[in-house]
Amino acid sequence: MKILLQSPQIIDPNSPYHLKEKNVLINNGRIVEIGDKNYSADKVIKAEGMKLSIGWFDLGTSIPDPGHEYKEDLDSGMRAAAAGGFTQIAVLPNTSPAIQTKNEVSYLIKGNDTNLVKIHPLASVTKNNKGEELTEMIDLHEAGAVAFTDGLKPVWHTDIFLKSLQYLQKFDGLLIDHPEDIWLNLFGQMHEGINSTMLGLKGMPRIAEDIVVNKNLELLGYAGGRLHITRLSSAKAIDMVRSGKKKLNVTCSVTAYQALLDDSLLADFDTNYKVNPPLREKADQDALIKALKDGTIDVIISGHVPQDEESKSLEFDLADFGITNLQTTAANLVSLSKWVDWDVLLEKITVAPRRLLNLEIPKIDIDEKANLTLLDPDRVWKFDERSNFSKAKNSPWFGQEIVGKAVAVFNNGKHYFDVA
Amino acid sequence: MSKLSQKHLLGIKDISREDIELIFETADNFKEVINRPIKKVPSLRDVTIANVFFENSTRTRLSFELAQKRLSADVINFSASNSSVKKGETLLDTVNNILAMKVDMIVMRHASPGAPHYLAKHINANIVNAGDGTHEHPTQALLDAFSIREKLGSLVGKKIAIIGDILHSRVALSNIFALQKLGAKVMVCGPPTLLPKFIKHLGVEVELDVQKALQWCDVANVLRIQLERQQIKYFPSLREYSLYYGITKKTLDNLKKQIVIMHPGPINRGVELSSDAADSEHSIILDQVENGVAVRMAVLYLLAGRTS
Repeated sequence: MKILLQSPQIIDPNSPYHLKEKNVLINNGRIVEIGDKNYSADKVIKAEGMKLSIGWFDLGTSIPDPGHEYKEDLDSGMRAAAAGGFTQIAVLPNTSPAIQTKNEVSYLIKGNDTNLVKIHPLASVTKNNKGEELTEMIDLHEAGAVAFTDGLKPVWHTDIFLKSLQYLQKFDGLLIDHPEDIWLNLFGQMHEGINSTMLGLKGMPRIAEDIVVNKNLELLGYAGGRLHITRLSSAKAIDMVRSGKKKLNVTCSVTAYQALLDDSLLADFDTNYKVNPPLREKADQDALIKALKDGTIDVIISGHVPQDEESKSLEFDLADFGITNLQTTAANLVSLSKWVDWDVLLEKITVAPRRLLNLEIPKIDIDEKANLTLLDPDRVWKFDERSNFSKAKNSPWFGQEIVGKAVAVFNNGKHYFDVA
Repeated sequence: MSKLSQKHLLGIKDISREDIELIFETADNFKEVINRPIKKVPSLRDVTIANVFFENSTRTRLSFELAQKRLSADVINFSASNSSVKKGETLLDTVNNILAMKVDMIVMRHASPGAPHYLAKHINANIVNAGDGTHEHPTQALLDAFSIREKLGSLVGKKIAIIGDILHSRVALSNIFALQKLGAKVMVCGPPTLLPKFIKHLGVEVELDVQKALQWCDVANVLRIQLERQQIKYFPSLREYSLYYGITKKTLDNLKKQIVIMHPGPINRGVELSSDAADSEHSIILDQVENGVAVRMAVLYLLAGRTS
C-alpha cells in the first residue's frame, strides 16, 4: 500500500530534508520518495502544518505485564503507545516477577519482529527491584535488556549502586536511576511546601531528590560508568546534573508533564495529580524548561504509569502514584513548544534515547525503513473512553479536550492512522 | 435568614468570615436553648444524619450525637476500623450503602486527609468533616474560636499560641485558618520536629520555647500529643516532652499575667498539661466541651437549612 504524506515539516537532524516541507511517499514499510511532486498513492494524508520525525522512543514506559495486567498489558500498552506516537518503548521492570532473568526478557521481546511498536526491556538492577542484591546483568544484557534500572524505585543502597555502576562497565551498560531518598520520602504524598502544609499531607521535599543526585554523581565520579538520572523534578538537582555533565558520563530525563504542572493542582485532593517525583513549584518548572532548552535534559519520557480505578479512586494517601501519559505526551510537547523549539523537543524523544542505548537510529531519507511519527500540533481532540487505548484512565486530562496529537505512526511495515 | 456559602463543612479554609460569624450567632441561640430545662428543639425533625467514624473518637462523636438529638434529628452511628478500608469495602461503597438508607447528612471522621473532599465529589448529601487525618477538624476550630470569643469578647488582635504537635494536628491547621479569618494573631510552638517546615508561610509566628510562647499569648491552646498519628519517631520520649514542653500550674503562676488555657481533649494529664494546670482557673476546657454541642447544632442546622 502506497501512502503519501503531503507537505509535513520534516524534523530529523540526520536527514538531508531536516526542517523542510516535503511530500513523503511510503510503500511497504519503506520511504520510497521524498520531494515536491504529488506522487500517486492509495492513501493521501494532508499533513501541512504537521511535524514528521523518526518514530518516538519512550525511555521508560511502565507496563506492569507480567503481574498487574489489569492495569495495563503489553497489548493495551502497545496500542496506547502507537496511538501516542511511539514506535519503540523501553519498558520498566516494575513487573511481577521483575524483569530479572532472560525468561522475562524473552517474554517482552517476543513480538518485536512483527509488531508496530517494538519493546526494549529495561532489566532490574536488583532482584525484585528491592535494591539489595544484584541481578545477573551480563546474562540479561545478552538476552536483550537495553539498560538497567529499578524503574519507579531508586537503587537506594549506596554500595549496591556503586557495584552496579562498576559491574555494568564490562559491556558499557547504562544504569538508569530514579533519584529519591526513601527515608525522607517515607509516607510522602506530594511535594513539601505551603500546599502540602495546608492540605495536611506528608511532604516529599526537594532535598530527598537533591541529596541522592549529589551522592550518585559522586559515586559516578569514583566508579566510572554511565549513569542516566530519570524523572528529575527539582531545580537544584538539575543544576547538579548540569555541572556534573562537564566531567562525568551522566545524562538525564524528565517526564513530558513535569514542567507543565505544579503542586497547587492538588488543592482538592485529585489523585490524578499524585505522581512521583511529585509536582513541584514554579521555580522548578522554570528550571526544567531552561534545562530542556540548554540541553541539560537529554531525554523526554512519557512518564506513563497506568493505574486501575481501584488504585486511584480512593482516599488520597491510599492512592497509588502515576499518570497514564502515552497518548497525551504529544499534547504535553505542544504545550512545551511555547518555550522550546520543535527540533529540540523532538530530538529528545527520538534520537537522544536511541543514542543512549546504542540502538540503531532511523533516518528520514529515500530508501530508508519507515520508522516515523506524524504529529499534528493543532489537532483538538477529546481524551476519553473512545479515544483511549490504555486500560487505565488515571490522567488529569481524561475527559478533556486537548490540543496536539500524534496522528500517524509507521514501523516494521505496519502503521496506525488517526486521520480523515 | 442568611445561609452558609457552602453545602458542606469540609474545612475552615473553604468558608468565609461571614460563614463563621453566622455559625457563632446561631450557636449563641443554641447555647441558650441547651441551658433551658427542656433542651430540645424540633428544627431537624425528619432529617436523618449518619455519624460515620472510621477512626476512634469518643467526645467528638458524642458531641455531634447530642447536637443532633437536641435538634430532633434521627441519628445512626457507624464505626469501622480504617485498616480494613483497602482490603474490604471502599469508602465510597460504605457511604453509598448508608445513603441508600435515605440519609440526608453525613458526619465523617477519617484517617486520610481529604477523605471528606473525595466523598463530596461523589455523593449528594451534606458532609460535615469531623476530622480528616492530619488535615482539618473544622468544628473543633469553630468551638475553640467560639469559646475564646465568649471569654475575651472579640478575637480581633488577640494573641493565640497553639502549643504541641503541630505537624500531626488537624486542630492546629483548622485553628490557624479560623483564628486568622477572625482577626487574631497566631503563634505555633513545639519541638522543631513537630512543626511543619513551611508553617511560617501561613502567616503564623513560630516559637520553639514554651515559656516565651506563654509570655506572648493571651490564650494557649495546648494540643494533645498524637502518638497514634506519628508513623515515625519525632521526639525521644514523653518524659523529655513533658519536662520541656509540658505546662504546669507553676509555669502559669510565674507568668506576669493571666492567660487562658484550652485543650481539645482528651488530655494526656502529666504530659502536655499537668492536672493542676488543666483544672486551674486559667482553664476553659470544659466550656469548650459545652460550646462544642452548641456550635455543632449551629453547623448542622445551617447546613440542613441550606438544602431545604
